Amino acid sequence: MRELKITSVTLPTFTLVLSLLMIFLTPDVYSADIGNCLLCHKYPGLSRVDEKGKLRLLYINEDIFNNSVHAKVKCEGCHLDIQKIPHDPAKKVDCLAECHIKEPSSEQKFSHKDIEKTVAMSVHSKYDKDGKEKKFSEDLPTCKECHDEPLYRPISFFKQVRAGISELSLSRCKSCHKKEDFIYKFYNHVTSRMHRTRNPLNIAESCSRCHDDLQIIKRHNLSAKAAFSYGETFHGKAARFMDERIPDCLDCHVKKGDASHLMLSKENPESAIHEKNKGKICASIDCHPSASPKLAKYGVHSEFSLDRSPAQYYFTVFFIILTGGTLLPLMGIILLDLIRKLFPNAMIRRRK
Amino acid sequence: MEKHPLIKIKDGKKYFYRFTLNQRIQHIILAWSVVTLVLTGMPLKFPDASWAPYLYALFGGIKYAPVIHKAFGSILLILFVYHVVYVIYLIYKYQIVPLKAAGKKNARNILLAFAKQPLVPNLKDAYDIKDLMKYLLFFTNRRPEGDKFTWKEKFDYWAPFWGMVVIGFSGLVMWNKELATMILPGQAINFSLIAHSDEALLAALFLFIWHWYNVHFSITVFPMGKVFITGYLPEELMVEEHYQHYTEVMKQAGLEHEILPPHGSHEVNQEGGHTL
Repeated sequence: MRELKITSVTLPTFTLVLSLLMIFLTPDVYSADIGNCLLCHKYPGLSRVDEKGKLRLLYINEDIFNNSVHAKVKCEGCHLDIQKIPHDPAKKVDCLAECHIKEPSSEQKFSHKDIEKTVAMSVHSKYDKDGKEKKFSEDLPTCKECHDEPLYRPISFFKQVRAGISELSLSRCKSCHKKEDFIYKFYNHVTSRMHRTRNPLNIAESCSRCHDDLQIIKRHNLSAKAAFSYGETFHGKAARFMDERIPDCLDCHVKKGDASHLMLSKENPESAIHEKNKGKICASIDCHPSASPKLAKYGVHSEFSLDRSPAQYYFTVFFIILTGGTLLPLMGIILLDLIRKLFPNAMIRRRK
Repeated sequence: MEKHPLIKIKDGKKYFYRFTLNQRIQHIILAWSVVTLVLTGMPLKFPDASWAPYLYALFGGIKYAPVIHKAFGSILLILFVYHVVYVIYLIYKYQIVPLKAAGKKNARNILLAFAKQPLVPNLKDAYDIKDLMKYLLFFTNRRPEGDKFTWKEKFDYWAPFWGMVVIGFSGLVMWNKELATMILPGQAINFSLIAHSDEALLAALFLFIWHWYNVHFSITVFPMGKVFITGYLPEELMVEEHYQHYTEVMKQAGLEHEILPPHGSHEVNQEGGHTL
């Protein structure tokens, strides 16, 4: 190897190359890609067809990943089964695994395992009160049935909101917390908890995956196509027009102060939607504060169904008949009138 | 005040006075608010339709369109109340007060006065519908001879009248749901939503198909009937739809000799009249 001589030419060149390297390599400082997984996964289009014939996209966008809630977690922190490179097809990630990150206040390995205990007390638990496994327990949701890694969401929902952390808000942290590492470790986490990460439509769609499934509704004896009937109300329609402030499933079905993991059946007196608690939900300070408990008798999930809501069924049928009974004869007259005007002097029978 | 002759002659053509300025302004407010209400309401009725988000965005999307909808709903309800007061006032001033002066004011005469209003459906309408069907099905080539307001116009008047009661009341219930459910059960909101949206769809289709066909799109009127702006209906349309009323007005004006034969008929009798 030739010895590098520092001359008046090489020094500035060296400095320039170094500064360019520093600029381009800056994002990597925060990267958790210690295993160098991005060596392959950085290529857009990296994909394969799995055993079930489904296309799996394996590309990781480094910029988005580094700004996601899981940015500090190493790839191997969740993908525990990957030990060597190149690796075998990876197993699905278990969210309850202890990951290789330490919880900053306790310095213990972090895990989402506690959530499992909360879910076990909720209506979505796989076991009933007596600890017996429920019928069709395989239908009941696990973490990833409701949560997806934000990283894999195809697009951000609103044009003006991009995925990841706002540089503008970060600059406020930076004015006191000089150490960037601190900012990424805490601000990232805190803000992701403080923001609503999903809009009402997204929540409803997520619940609809099971609660609009007719087979699941039948198996579990549920009373309505929940997300569909929500979509028929003003709340649901506003959600479809991307209103972010409209109540979604969780706003009514989760008791204020509890996490959504502790969702309870409407038969449970502790539940937010229990007959005697319902009124408080509608009359909550951000919604209809002056409402009487009677407002809660509004059928949020009523459907056009003879079995479930006969009165509304017949009421709707009345309007269908009224509409048809009015418009069809009138449109018939228009049609006859158009034909008549083609032959203004024609007549079948002559008057004497 | 502008003077309104019953028959106005312009460029040798006769025009018949039908609507006062007050009525025309009422109608334009009605039409303008109904169109706005339909445009801001239908995207909510059909949120899955491909056009819905674009049409809604035109009115400011979910943030502003409901506000516009309520504003125009309020305008329409105020107009409705005004109209009812206006009609009752006219009947009182021109029919009840003279009755009183003549000493004939009793419940029977007052009821009769209301029942004989030109827009109240009567037996002639039933016969006119029967005769129209005969005409449309080629059994005769004489159209029914309509009075000042035909059954079509009575339909056009009473259908939105009933519609405004239903849509207005259910709209108010949904708008003031907290207040409404102090008295009504919560289910009233479900029924209001069904009534509001289904009746609105009926009203919109009724107006945009039936009413617009009769007043604008029918070949004899196309491209646009102007009576709602000018208040005057041209003679040929008067002959086509309101022949009975037409002959009365012509006689009143002393123009018997200028009465045209009934529309569609080519059997003008010797006296030049329209009688059979």
